[in-house]
Amino acid sequence: MSEEELTFWEKLARIDRRVFYWILFIGLMIPFIRPIVFPIAISPSTRDLYEGIKEMVEPGDVVVMNIAFGVSAWPECMPAFCACTKLLIKEGAKIIFWGAYYDVDMTYQEVLRRCEDYFKDLKYGEDYVYLGYYPYQEAAVAQLAASIRSIFKTDNYGTPLDEIPMMKNVDKATDIKLVLSGDTGDVCDYYIRQWRIPYGTPVAEIGIAMLGSSYMPFYKSGVLFGMSVGVRGGAELEKLIGEPGEATIRMGAINISHILVVIAVILANIGYFASRRK
Amino acid sequence: MPYPTAPADIFGLWVAWLLMLMIYSYPLYKENPAFRFAEHTYIGLMLAIMLVRTSITTTINMVAPPLMKGRVDYIIPIILGFMMYFLLSARYRWISRYPIAVLVGAGFGLGMRGVLIPNILKQVISTITPPATGAGAVDWWNYIYIAIGTICAVMYFILTWEHKGAMGYATRLGRWIIMIGLGAYFGNTVLFRMAMLSGRAQFFLQVLKIAPM
Amino acid sequence: MAEVLRREVVYLITAIVTVIMFIEFFFIGTWNVAEELRTWATIIANISLGLGAVRLLSEHAKNIQKRRAGVWPFSIWLWIIFLITILSGLAGYVTTHDAMKNPLYNWLFKWPYTSLGQTLYAITGFYIFSAAYRAFRARNIDAALLLIAGCFVILTNAPIGEVIWSGIPVIGRWFLDYGQVPAMRCFLIVAAFGMLAYGFRALLGRERGFYGEVVGE
Repeated sequence: MSEEELTFWEKLARIDRRVFYWILFIGLMIPFIRPIVFPIAISPSTRDLYEGIKEMVEPGDVVVMNIAFGVSAWPECMPAFCACTKLLIKEGAKIIFWGAYYDVDMTYQEVLRRCEDYFKDLKYGEDYVYLGYYPYQEAAVAQLAASIRSIFKTDNYGTPLDEIPMMKNVDKATDIKLVLSGDTGDVCDYYIRQWRIPYGTPVAEIGIAMLGSSYMPFYKSGVLFGMSVGVRGGAELEKLIGEPGEATIRMGAINISHILVVIAVILANIGYFASRRK
Repeated sequence: MPYPTAPADIFGLWVAWLLMLMIYSYPLYKENPAFRFAEHTYIGLMLAIMLVRTSITTTINMVAPPLMKGRVDYIIPIILGFMMYFLLSARYRWISRYPIAVLVGAGFGLGMRGVLIPNILKQVISTITPPATGAGAVDWWNYIYIAIGTICAVMYFILTWEHKGAMGYATRLGRWIIMIGLGAYFGNTVLFRMAMLSGRAQFFLQVLKIAPM
Repeated sequence: MAEVLRREVVYLITAIVTVIMFIEFFFIGTWNVAEELRTWATIIANISLGLGAVRLLSEHAKNIQKRRAGVWPFSIWLWIIFLITILSGLAGYVTTHDAMKNPLYNWLFKWPYTSLGQTLYAITGFYIFSAAYRAFRARNIDAALLLIAGCFVILTNAPIGEVIWSGIPVIGRWFLDYGQVPAMRCFLIVAAFGMLAYGFRALLGRERGFYGEVVGE
């Protein structure tokens, strides 16, 4: 078929896909140069996560922050993870950080950097501790619930757990007030199956957006007490704790990209039905 | 983070920026040696960091203290772990079946005992539990939608009987329900992918000092 | 005897470990045997994570050895960067018990690795946009339902949706909080039954896909 015989929609369908990529990449940059902020409504799952932490956590309670997302997922998970860390510190919780990704060390360093103002008055070993990496495996999570010391003999820096003040009487899931799992995969499933159900330890998910769908049945049935869904959940938590940050700024780019995707779907379908009629 | 000031960090920042552009030269232009160079850099770094953190340092942290306290039984999992490497040999591959048997057994045992309550029992109870007294029409609509939808969607996966007649109608409704669920999943996928890409767009501008760091 | 060692003993080990793990649920916190087995499984998994790395590195070593056109210079670079990173990391661990304290390892982790990880993960954003234009057509009712639900959720996740029309977040929120629940719940239930069936097959030695084929079997 020659170029003259092609309809407008057929010509549009033949545009090189690299044009779309450039439109998207440049479109994503615009909100960072000229920010446009719209109000963000709080979803029920994020509100339950926030309220759940505030209700359940008392000063001195030991909480686990599970870092099961790699450096690749920082834009999605880090804002919500940091917001929860700040909230826990405000509530006076003692935090155990550990993680199931081999690059957990870098993520932990980044959490410390982003929450620097909150950590400057805290003492390592008394208010928070970093135990390091454990294998991404259900057996490891189950064994952590039975005995933390069987997986972590020392903290990440070689200090035996018995010499760390906040770990003195902490060894099992029953010694932990709640678990917040920052996830890109199914590690939260392991915490649900091996911590929540056998020991009753409350678990919440701070995950990528897709996990907002996968874990919705658990949230609806009360297995998870709350859920933060992707960067949107991060923006909602930032609003709830009163500190708009990276996620709030990023919602501008989310606006542009999402409008572009919807326009692409609509145009594609108009073209499809127009060419079918022909 | 604030714009770095240390020379090593400034150099690192620009290296990171250039590597990002090398990777994006593939979708935005075409495959080229710069992309391959950046790709191989990532693979080399990833393998090294993974080995350092998992197989070497974490294993030593887990086994050295008990071994030094006289727990010689910890030698068994170390030997089993190294037996796994016989997977690389076509002739002696059967030796790797022993550690695999332990891992498979632990995985299945924990998985089977774990899914009974949260994945089956709690989901069924949540599906059949009606709204509390005083609930409005919307709550009742949602309850009926979820109950009937879940039953029809599960029926779609029952392959023992042909999907004909009454079962045909129910499974077709189930398929539609599944499509709605997958549509919502797709919507969340778009949020995920675009959030990641917006992070890179922001980084592009931050290094050039067009956007604040 | 060799056949028994290669097959039946393996299936027996799987069955015993599965049963111990399953039954321990009813005696939680009291069975040392189960706890030891899990610790062993964790150590085994840790050590075996190196397997993929060894395989990949040997492939690249073969590229170098055979001078595969267009490929072997990159394989050399891969090996160089791998050796620099692993040696600096181990040096940091041996001297300070923390690999991150080695400045070179820290620099490689912080700058090139982090940027490349985020960049490669984000590249799919481009493809989802071009797929939205080229592939997502409402050819039938099923596809139409998927796209309608998807578009409402997309515009609900973005705050601009409410600015376009106040009804978008209402409908989108319904899809997120209720509309998707039957499907996701169905996947959970069906996958759980699949796991149970699969687990019983492994217990009875009927599931052999994990164990691989061996020359001469």
